[in-house]
Amino acid sequence: MITLTSVTKLYNEGRPNEVQALKGIDLEIARDAITVLKGPSGSGKTTLLSIVACMARPTTGRVTLDGEVVSGLPERFLTELRRTTFGFVFQRFNLIRGLSVIENVMLPAAPLGGDHATVRERALERLAALDLADKATMPVEFLSGGETQRAAIARALINDAPIVIADEPTANLDTELTMRFLEIVRALRAEGKTVIMTSHDPRIWDAEGVDAVVEMRDGAIFGEFA
Amino acid sequence: MQVRRLTTPVFLALGALGALLAIELYYTAFASAARNTRLAKEAGLVRALGLTDTALFTEARYTRHPALADLNTPFQDHPMGFDHFPSGTIVPVPDLPGNGWLIFQPEAKK
Amino acid sequence: MTPWLRRQRALADYTLASLARRKGKNIALVAVYAIVVFVLASAMFFAASLRLETSAVLRDAPEVTVQKITMGRQDLIDGAVADEIGKIRGVTSAKPRLWGYYYDRIVGANYTVMVPDDPEMIPEPGSVIVGEGIPRARGFKWSGAPLFLSRYEGDLKRFNVARAFESDSALMTSDLMLMNETDFRDFFEIPAGLYTDVVATVRNPNEVATIVEKGSNALPQMRFVTRSDIERTYQKLFDWREGLLAALAAAGILAFVIFAAEKASGLSAEEMREIGILKAVGWDTRDVIAMKLWEGGLVSLGAFLLGTVTAFAHVFFFGAPLFAPILKGWAVIYPDFALAPHVDGLELLTLALLTIVPYIAATLVPIWRVASGDPDAVMR
Repeated sequence: MITLTSVTKLYNEGRPNEVQALKGIDLEIARDAITVLKGPSGSGKTTLLSIVACMARPTTGRVTLDGEVVSGLPERFLTELRRTTFGFVFQRFNLIRGLSVIENVMLPAAPLGGDHATVRERALERLAALDLADKATMPVEFLSGGETQRAAIARALINDAPIVIADEPTANLDTELTMRFLEIVRALRAEGKTVIMTSHDPRIWDAEGVDAVVEMRDGAIFGEFA
Repeated sequence: MQVRRLTTPVFLALGALGALLAIELYYTAFASAARNTRLAKEAGLVRALGLTDTALFTEARYTRHPALADLNTPFQDHPMGFDHFPSGTIVPVPDLPGNGWLIFQPEAKK
Repeated sequence: MTPWLRRQRALADYTLASLARRKGKNIALVAVYAIVVFVLASAMFFAASLRLETSAVLRDAPEVTVQKITMGRQDLIDGAVADEIGKIRGVTSAKPRLWGYYYDRIVGANYTVMVPDDPEMIPEPGSVIVGEGIPRARGFKWSGAPLFLSRYEGDLKRFNVARAFESDSALMTSDLMLMNETDFRDFFEIPAGLYTDVVATVRNPNEVATIVEKGSNALPQMRFVTRSDIERTYQKLFDWREGLLAALAAAGILAFVIFAAEKASGLSAEEMREIGILKAVGWDTRDVIAMKLWEGGLVSLGAFLLGTVTAFAHVFFFGAPLFAPILKGWAVIYPDFALAPHVDGLELLTLALLTIVPYIAATLVPIWRVASGDPDAVMR
């Protein structure tokens, strides 16, 4: 269970361009579920997601993960949590250009000091499961949109994180690829992973297997649907 | 399937260069015995002949015998002269009047 | 392998993979860097070796040399001066010497002609002992060829070459020609009783200053050159020479600094984004910095090793062909000598630190702020 208690987030605090991205959010996100945050752009979905994923700290408020308070942890522990607990799929996928697919997939494992061969096998398994095995040594910029996304998913899973987070995963995908993505998400769910996504795509909210939809507007929660 | 690991060739290359440097340093240590014998022989020759300078530059008196050059002589073999370029530029200009001090200018020496 | 080592290797792998993306540019960088190190290290090796050689050999140079100065010029000195100097307390021996220069118009070279004091070195009348450079300058094809010397138009004097010095001592003896006294006086038309200068040996080297003072009081028109003067001259000469090469290299260094600063410190938006990505996928600030340390370390260590190893080979195995033109100058006779390998450990360490540390710093400093930034920046 991930719990947020009166979480606010200010960007550029104290400066003229101060923005209040979140205005007192109280939210519970269930583990072992697929949760979708929906809302128009600028509604604070991505900010909320980055706070849940320990990438940013709330300005005020509290975040707990499975009962442990994480919002006040020092940077070192947050990094540790990001590494071991969360896997990210970014909106623009954020693969590192010029590196091959497998090098990108293995990136999150580098600071952990795992055995290279083991990590490589794990990466190849993930890539094989996502039909990318034959593209493993190809530079990422030669991949198609769907392939890029699957490479990003493989990277998110390399450290066996129990929580997978995806920011606008289907923004650039056609219907067929969106269906493919949802299949992957359901497979992850079947593996026992928790999935949290943001989206303003109806194909996602209405999809089969989505357990909860949280609607956001202007930095506040507008409604929750199961 | 193999994934390239660039550290393998790069570390090998650095290791090879390091080993070459070590070999060169070892060679230096190894060659020093022979060098010392040769230097002792050369020093013996220097003592026997009373040599004061190296024979590196043989084009002018002040380049051939910097130690005994006429640094006190006006207009002769002044190292600022371009006539013996480039060795004239490599042999330093004496900080006149000083290094080649005159016996009647003992203060200049001090 | 421990996890720590595996982590370091994985970080190095990443840094190399990302350097490999601009392979040409980065190889050029290492090459330019290595060339700068090569020039500096060559100068360093060369000077250190020459310095060792001369200081070891000149330790046996005469302690005091006395020259007579007339009208501001060195003049021939009376042999009686040697006796007077010999009387000064603490002087073990004082001997007048005959030596001078001979300009060989045939090949345009200057020889240093000396009359040796050591009986074993004195050649028979009509013959000379020569340094290795003279037969070379004259283009002698066989040993035992006679040496003809001409003092003026129409003059020709024949000498037999008794023997030549080995090239082992070429640094000191390359242009030497030893004659016996009779031949020398006859050849240069020097009256009996006059000499070039006087050399004195001293019992206790600490007394040299006192002896020079006494000598100059007694013989005010004489100039005294001490061995420490000679040593100082040579130290200065090689420091100067090394400094000159360093100054030449400075232009290269400056160009390189600009190049490196552009390359290392000018963080492009692309690189900043990549560091954001690394942070977002779970890299720590320390991981990013360690990765950049690898980048700076590998580039500068590689350049240092490459430059030093080739410089050593250049100076000690190939005889410094790139410096030879500078050193040879207009000299017709340049000693044919092999520099004995000598490496000053402290200097090498200094060079290593001077090449590696600044580069690492140049790669690290700009990264610091970016690396400690919030990872969510990449999501915005």
